[in-house]
Amino acid sequence: MNLEVADIQGLVAAGYRRLRSADYLLFKIRGQGEARRWLGELAGRLTTAQAPVATTGLNLALTSSGLQHLGLDDDTLGSFPSEFIEGMATPHRSRMLGDEAASAPGNWRWGGNESTAVDIVLMLFALDAVTLDHLRHDLAVDTIAGLEKVTELHTADLGDHEHFGFADGISQPTILGFGRPAPSRDLIQPGEFILGYANEYGLIPPGPVVSSKADPRRILTQASDGSGAGDLGRNGTYMVFRQMRQDVAGFWNFAGQRAATSGQGSPEKLAAKIVGRWPSGAPLLIAPDSDQPNFASSNDFAYQADDADGLRCPVGAHVRRANPRDSLDPAPGTDRSVALVKRHRILRRGREYGPPISSDPSGPRPPLTDDGQERGLQFICLCSNLVRQFEFVQGTWIASPKFAGLYDDADPLVAARSPAGSSFNIPARPFRHRLMALPPFVTVVGGAYFFLPSIRAVRYLASK
Amino acid sequence: MVAPAQPSRLDDLRSLLDEIGKDPAGNAHVPFGHVHSIHYARFILLEPTADLSGRPIPAELIFMADFDSPLEDRLDDLLTVAGQGLIRLLSHCEGFPPAASRAACKSYFLDHVTRDAAYYVNTIGVGVDQVLGESRLHEALGEYLDATPELRSGDPAAVRRRVAEWVATSSNLPWALKQPSRPDLAWRIGELLHMVLIPLVGLVLLPLIIVALPFWLIALRLHERSEPVSIAKPDPAHRHALERLEDHGPVNQFTAVGFVKGGWFRALTARLVLFLIAYGVRHIFNRANLAGVKTIHFARWTYIDGGRRVIFASNYDGSVESYNDDFIDKIAWGLNAVFSNGAGYPSTRWLLWGGAKNENAFKNYLRVHQAPTQVWYAAYSSLTALNIANSGAIRRDLIGGGDETAWLLRL
Repeated sequence: MNLEVADIQGLVAAGYRRLRSADYLLFKIRGQGEARRWLGELAGRLTTAQAPVATTGLNLALTSSGLQHLGLDDDTLGSFPSEFIEGMATPHRSRMLGDEAASAPGNWRWGGNESTAVDIVLMLFALDAVTLDHLRHDLAVDTIAGLEKVTELHTADLGDHEHFGFADGISQPTILGFGRPAPSRDLIQPGEFILGYANEYGLIPPGPVVSSKADPRRILTQASDGSGAGDLGRNGTYMVFRQMRQDVAGFWNFAGQRAATSGQGSPEKLAAKIVGRWPSGAPLLIAPDSDQPNFASSNDFAYQADDADGLRCPVGAHVRRANPRDSLDPAPGTDRSVALVKRHRILRRGREYGPPISSDPSGPRPPLTDDGQERGLQFICLCSNLVRQFEFVQGTWIASPKFAGLYDDADPLVAARSPAGSSFNIPARPFRHRLMALPPFVTVVGGAYFFLPSIRAVRYLASK
Repeated sequence: MVAPAQPSRLDDLRSLLDEIGKDPAGNAHVPFGHVHSIHYARFILLEPTADLSGRPIPAELIFMADFDSPLEDRLDDLLTVAGQGLIRLLSHCEGFPPAASRAACKSYFLDHVTRDAAYYVNTIGVGVDQVLGESRLHEALGEYLDATPELRSGDPAAVRRRVAEWVATSSNLPWALKQPSRPDLAWRIGELLHMVLIPLVGLVLLPLIIVALPFWLIALRLHERSEPVSIAKPDPAHRHALERLEDHGPVNQFTAVGFVKGGWFRALTARLVLFLIAYGVRHIFNRANLAGVKTIHFARWTYIDGGRRVIFASNYDGSVESYNDDFIDKIAWGLNAVFSNGAGYPSTRWLLWGGAKNENAFKNYLRVHQAPTQVWYAAYSSLTALNIANSGAIRRDLIGGGDETAWLLRL
């Protein structure tokens, strides 16, 4: 399948890991005309999936209120899926996503309600801090006419590891057509991540459209349904942004205190059981007893044949729920199971923020003193169907205490703890170890659903 | 039970149902929590509508329940606990006698009972008490293991023996050492006869079926290629009404209602398919697994309005999205066979293919046809079907049966 790479924003194709500095700037639209003019000028500067990344990258996404404030008509807005229109913070979504207790939208700094809603996120990437500063200056991000900056979300470069000290981003789906090598279970149809292409059902799902009247200059290509409507979605996708605070001291001190009583012997081992990989990234499935950095980037493995019971990697461990591989019903260990999981993949594009808690090269270890500094993950993921991909993974696999037959184990690493879901079972012989009353280690402090438009769609939005 | 509601009293009825729905177990009118042996129960008020030929259908009050013993016994219990509440509810319905006694209420209720066309039970013969008891057993064993770390030094057989000994000496668990009572012999013989006789009748009719099949297939394809498909998307207010009632715990309710397509062909096909499904779920898919889906507790298809509409109601684990995805990924053929006889369903090919595989059209179709379940009671809303099956296996193999290493992994 030929992807129209010049029309697709670069973030879809790559996370720009070479560009080690990044800022996410959140805006509200205050002046429609000025905002459109700015958008029109920006369209040509956005990084696409075609251009090799140079020293900077620039991408942009909009919430449904952003589209509204740019003057998109109701019919067009109504052709977006309801979950995007209504956003991440409705009471029903919060129940489903497990955004409860401290992670409830009522406590969020941004995106949680009308007054903290955002319209636009501008994503800036650069080789280093100096280049990033130049880019900010170049774009005059502090004085954009028509836009009010709500907040700036900065990032920190922790290399391949995240704040808890674990290698991150190892398992990623590969979009068929971007041609990178990957195990077949990670090769995913482009329609799962880009609108306008065939997905894992072999279908091109209906995307947002603009009536031919509303696009008199024919900026958009025509939708494939033959209606003559302009295809606003094509080459765009949806982007989930969740700012997640991590309690690194809390996590490692917990691992330190419970290492002995949980039968794991060392804090590292208990932490690895919670995560499903060792700090180096080595999967428990391959290295069940101790960290083996030579397997750090191992990703071509499955659970069913060697570890159906979770004796190596607990069924409730974070990475096993985020990507269950071949372990789910109706036929664990078969291609049917893999095909089913392929319909629930997301492309992760997040970055860390805040200073690392420890300067120790081997990463944080207990005991740790909370230094009062905030740190966490600017979690970003892309998918073409928010409900079937992001919300399903977050709700059915991560947040649900009932994942894969469990009784009361929500994700031990990242789930919020409402009264339910705070135990963690570590399968063992002759019988499991069980940790009770897990505290939350991760708290959602902001978030929203965005539309990551194609370059054409940006031009259209600017032309209105 | 299906009863037409009085048009002038619909608002009243709605607010009464809302009140009951806020606390289905303990409300002042019909406190289901006080009625013995009910797994799940629901009241649904279907709004007035018109059938495919434009004939009006009044609003209807529907009551459904999944219970352990014969209907009359349960109804007597329900009337004892909630007689006044039921009388008050049903007094909003057409033909309900004024100042009705409990006896009059009972006979009105029985007069309005409709048989299910097909009824799926996750595991036949497991009662509410057994589910709750085995869940308590699982919990108690979990606490015992946590509190007895010295058990870890034993081999699996010794650990299980120790656990069973502890159960025997506990104050409230020794019942778990006995196997659950099986359905009585007469019932089992009846089921066996039914299982054997139906295929036998089929065998006798086989020549007829072989002759009729090509004609039926041709008619089927002609219908499939010409029937209109609905492209309606769920209206936001309707969707919000449904979402408000969803995902308050791990178990959810689903109620959908739709018209059977006009004409004798679809009417007949729907009857045939539901007949086969009824047979399949009774004799084949009756052990916690509906053709690969292990998350459904109960499900039923029932004709209403003289066969013009079918109502489908189920209790399932997880979100409506995961439920729909299970439909598409695991049992699309089964869904297609039934629902493609419903007006507006996405086009199928040869009855079993296509249809639900058209993801967006299928999900929209279900959402559009879903009806808000105003009152939904669950006796064990924190237990999934997988939990129930696992706890049941723990009890079953507590003494003797099966491999003790595998048994210990269930704890």
